[in-house]
Amino acid sequence: MSWQRNVVLAGATSLLITIAGSVAVAGEIVWWTPNWGEARAKELATKFEAGNPSITIKLEVTVANGLPAKVATALRSGSPPDLIEVQHGWVPEYAQAGLVLPLDDVLRDKDDYFPAALDYVTWNGKVWAIPYRIETHAVIYNKGAFKAAGLDPDKPPQTWSDLVAAAKKLTGKTADGKDQYGFAITGGGEFGNTIFRTLPFIWMNGGSIISDDMKKATVNQPAAVEAVKFYTDFLANKLSPPSTLQNDGIANRQLFIAGTVAMYQSGQFDIDSIRKGNPNIDIGVAMIPHPDGKETAAIVGGWSFVIPKDAKNPDETKKFIRFLAEPDNMGFFTDTFPARKSAMNLPRFQDPILANFKAMLPYGRKTPPAKNWQQITQAYFDGLQSIMLGDASPQEAMDAAAEQIAPLLH
Amino acid sequence: MSSGRQYGLLFVLPAIIVLALLVVYPLAYTGLLSVTDDQGHYVGAANYAAVIGARVTTTAVWNTVYYVGASIVLQIVLGTLAGVLLNQRFRGRAFVRSLTVIPWVIPGIVAATTWAWMFHTEFGIINYMLASAHVIDAPVGWLTGRNTVMPALIAINAWKLFPFVAVMVLAGLQAVPNELYESARIDGAGFWQEVRHVMLPQLRPVLTAITLLLVIWGLNAITIIYTITRGGPANRTLITPIEIFRYAFEQFQFNQAAALSVLFFAVTVGFVAAYIKLFATTAEPGVR
Repeated sequence: MSWQRNVVLAGATSLLITIAGSVAVAGEIVWWTPNWGEARAKELATKFEAGNPSITIKLEVTVANGLPAKVATALRSGSPPDLIEVQHGWVPEYAQAGLVLPLDDVLRDKDDYFPAALDYVTWNGKVWAIPYRIETHAVIYNKGAFKAAGLDPDKPPQTWSDLVAAAKKLTGKTADGKDQYGFAITGGGEFGNTIFRTLPFIWMNGGSIISDDMKKATVNQPAAVEAVKFYTDFLANKLSPPSTLQNDGIANRQLFIAGTVAMYQSGQFDIDSIRKGNPNIDIGVAMIPHPDGKETAAIVGGWSFVIPKDAKNPDETKKFIRFLAEPDNMGFFTDTFPARKSAMNLPRFQDPILANFKAMLPYGRKTPPAKNWQQITQAYFDGLQSIMLGDASPQEAMDAAAEQIAPLLH
Repeated sequence: MSSGRQYGLLFVLPAIIVLALLVVYPLAYTGLLSVTDDQGHYVGAANYAAVIGARVTTTAVWNTVYYVGASIVLQIVLGTLAGVLLNQRFRGRAFVRSLTVIPWVIPGIVAATTWAWMFHTEFGIINYMLASAHVIDAPVGWLTGRNTVMPALIAINAWKLFPFVAVMVLAGLQAVPNELYESARIDGAGFWQEVRHVMLPQLRPVLTAITLLLVIWGLNAITIIYTITRGGPANRTLITPIEIFRYAFEQFQFNQAAALSVLFFAVTVGFVAAYIKLFATTAEPGVR
């Protein structure tokens, strides 16, 4: 019977090893942080550990590609990390599914936060994440190309008709015989890229994808369809490159660096890459043009800290988030702008090129916290692509999108 | 004798338990997910109704049939051709043989990313070469055109897996007894007659098995399409596995993803069973 004992023994050993592997060390905070902030995260972790010797911080570096899926899986796995950085827009979904802890007891100086950011992460009267980074898009343009086309580089387009007129002048052969396109829109890659760039146009025209009470699809109403037509016409009129249907934000940045594109929408994180990629480009930043007589708009983007419901050391993690949310630390850690107004006074945010990105912030809005927002925007994005392919008119495509969105609202 | 058998069963028991945990548990859990909501409450067939009712599901099914069907035909034809050629005696044969296997060995995601850049309208080398040779005047949007995107992806998929077919065919040809060729030659057969009347009949069991494998792999592969187009533009390259992936990992509708998986699994099993019944049983080597 000795083989039976051996089997039992082997089984018990492997079970023990499995358990030991998943048990977290007391006082250890496992922190999932995206790769672009790794160096700064290390510095802050070291600083915190020096003041709190009983707590250690274990960094696990994540990448943007596939992160939503990775976080969603981890939150449901039963053994998530203690602290995760996520985009504001993902938080309501986690809160509704009960996957993260409420953090009202962590939040301090509530009035110091930009309201749009806190608004994003609030659900059912509670705060479910601590925002630390906020940003919006603006229009990045090539001042040299403006001069060459006879446009004033210090007077970028302000209205939709200005934008179309400028894009037309900027489209054509350049002096060295290369094709140049006036205003590059996105139509490919991860579909969030295109939602971020089109939805503001719909908003500033008075439209929306779904109604405010989130019960009705409104994407086929005139205000929305007009904005969709305005956007997709840049491709139809060949003012955006022929590759538009495969371009996301990064592809447009590459095309801007290559001088193929004169204007495109993006965030301030592109500035450094452009300067590195092509130091000869004189970069201009403009607020996103709006319809005549209306206000501009943008989606507030950015990142927040969440603590998973199944985190092993939530108390230590809360203490650490309070430390990270101090204005100086937040201002140091963010890639773009900090979520607290007082941190905005730090010297690094006074660079003149950031002025118009900063000016866009008050116009930033949050996306609706609809339960099926991903599916809703996927249907809308499919519609946009079918317009760009030439398969459907804007009205037809948005009617089809509305039809698919309707059953997703309940 | 019977006690020996019992011991044997006991010995394989741990392996069977592990297998059950790895195979049966996920299957059963997927089945459970497909009839519950995200809070774990039983909802009957609601998830099934939702995925069947979605317009994209139909699109995805036709795209899947097109993509898998066309890929397999190309893979088998190209692979068999390559296998027959590599079986001939010529200088540098070993070198060419190893060269052929490269597409199959390259990790799928690397190959897909490389092809995506090669096919890019603006930066792609394919448009660059065609334009330099004056075959085209303006850049072609291979991955953005409604009629070019699926053929481009099928070509990439065929390129990726035809070496596997070639290797299998080559192995199959090594097993063909020389007497068959000799008697064919005595009867005055040329090369193509040899191919048609000796090689292909002898290869039948190999090709039957490969086709089955290719179908199963093709139905489960999302790397190439997901990396290059994510199912776009406008769902023109959306295949069912990508739709399942979207439900689960982009939209976090794990229950609907499970429902679609169960349906997809049922169809696949049905197809494979029918295929085995039709072809595999009559494909005893050497019997005709």
